Amino acid sequence: MKQEMPWHSRFDLLGVTFLLFIIGALGSLPSIEGSGRDLNYLGNLSRFASQFFPPDWSILDRTLEGLFETVKIALVSTFLAIILSIGLSICAASTISPRWLLWPTRMLLNVIRTIPSLLWALLAVVIVGSNPLAGVIALTFYSVGYLAKFFSEAFEAANTDAQEALRSLGASPLQAFQYGLWPNARPIIWSHCLWMLEYNVRSASIIGYVGAGGIGLHLKLYAESANSWNKFSLVMICILVIVTILDFIGEKIRKSIRRKLEGNSSK
Amino acid sequence: MQPPLLSTQGLGLQIEDRWLLKGLNLSLNPGSFVAITGSSGSGKTTLLRTLAGEITPEIGNIDNQLDSPTKLAMICQDLQLADGATALTNVLGGSLGRHSFISTLWRFPPDERKEASRLLSLFGLAEKEDQWTSTLSRGERQRVAACRTLITRPLVLLADEPVSSLDPFWADQVLSNLKSTIIKRKGCLVCALHNDEQVEKFADTILRLDSTNPEGWKIETQKLGIES
Repeated sequence: MKQEMPWHSRFDLLGVTFLLFIIGALGSLPSIEGSGRDLNYLGNLSRFASQFFPPDWSILDRTLEGLFETVKIALVSTFLAIILSIGLSICAASTISPRWLLWPTRMLLNVIRTIPSLLWALLAVVIVGSNPLAGVIALTFYSVGYLAKFFSEAFEAANTDAQEALRSLGASPLQAFQYGLWPNARPIIWSHCLWMLEYNVRSASIIGYVGAGGIGLHLKLYAESANSWNKFSLVMICILVIVTILDFIGEKIRKSIRRKLEGNSSK
Repeated sequence: MQPPLLSTQGLGLQIEDRWLLKGLNLSLNPGSFVAITGSSGSGKTTLLRTLAGEITPEIGNIDNQLDSPTKLAMICQDLQLADGATALTNVLGGSLGRHSFISTLWRFPPDERKEASRLLSLFGLAEKEDQWTSTLSRGERQRVAACRTLITRPLVLLADEPVSSLDPFWADQVLSNLKSTIIKRKGCLVCALHNDEQVEKFADTILRLDSTNPEGWKIETQKLGIES
């Protein structure tokens, strides 16, 4: 006869974590207070939202120019971050690097990740002034923190059999890495690069807010000028369009990579 | 008569506490095809890995007369291919030992590419050389692994069930190509095989392992009958 499991056996680590999360969220509710004034929230929202429409198309040319600059900042910073991240990720991958190199690199990446993109942008503006270069510097550093971590995880997860086989057939460690491990990790790494590029276009739209170039500066100007919310909304629409296009292209490429990689699972 | 390329004297192999083989004397002579047969668990893979130098035998010696470790190569059962690389690049990987890192950083030398293409054609994969190996069938991947090992130009080729996923036509083709290539350069091909027809068709020497008795192995030659 099947023995009944005790009631508490279903609380594994995942279950307990989820339970603590629910308790924490509910417990935090009482501390979320409004202003205390009797405001008509819905009325306020509809009055504010109505100022966004109709969008002001007369500033389209200027907006597209800003958007173009944003995309350029994202492209350059992602490119630089990829180059820096490949080297750092090799140092941070436990399957490749010795311990004395592994932990300092991981610590460095942790520190880089701790600083949000807006703060990187502020730091860069202080150093190089208010221009697109500040945006490139800020997003490069910000992206390296994430990309190097993702890449090192891709190297650790990749199948090392081919690398070992090539070593036994006479290849040097670098050659075995290039032709044995890299091809297995490369599809995942490219997928992360695409994601980072999409993410950087979004971030580059915001960092302009603190003077690091791109469309963010337009957002700041319109948000702070009187009766410019219809211009603000046009900028938002343009950002939405570019991000959606990138998302669509990225997903198509990722799907094709997945299909190629999963090709042998059915055989 | 030429001396054997590799020979074992009184070889004993053990896995955990179980003896797989005891007292094996085997000679891998130039220009020969040695088939290793036996049921699953009889020690075929362990013996091949021991001959390849990956495992140290519990007892006995291996006398290796090859002048370079790259003269000995092995096709493993799990193939060990790079899934995200093309069939051609995988095959070319076997030639890396002959070139420096710099010379293969961007692309392989033209003569190596030609040789890899020729091998893939020989094994019926000319149309698939630019496909990622992850998109190939198991049988095709097995042939890519065989090509990658052949391009290293080994003198002793150890193959662990190299045709297990192939249809009879391609199994015969692969064994015939492996045998002719190795024998042409006066080498020795050692294959773990399950199929008796293939063994009788291609092998000069047959080592039959007995999973119930570590000392019950037999070496037969196709012409001379039971030798020991």
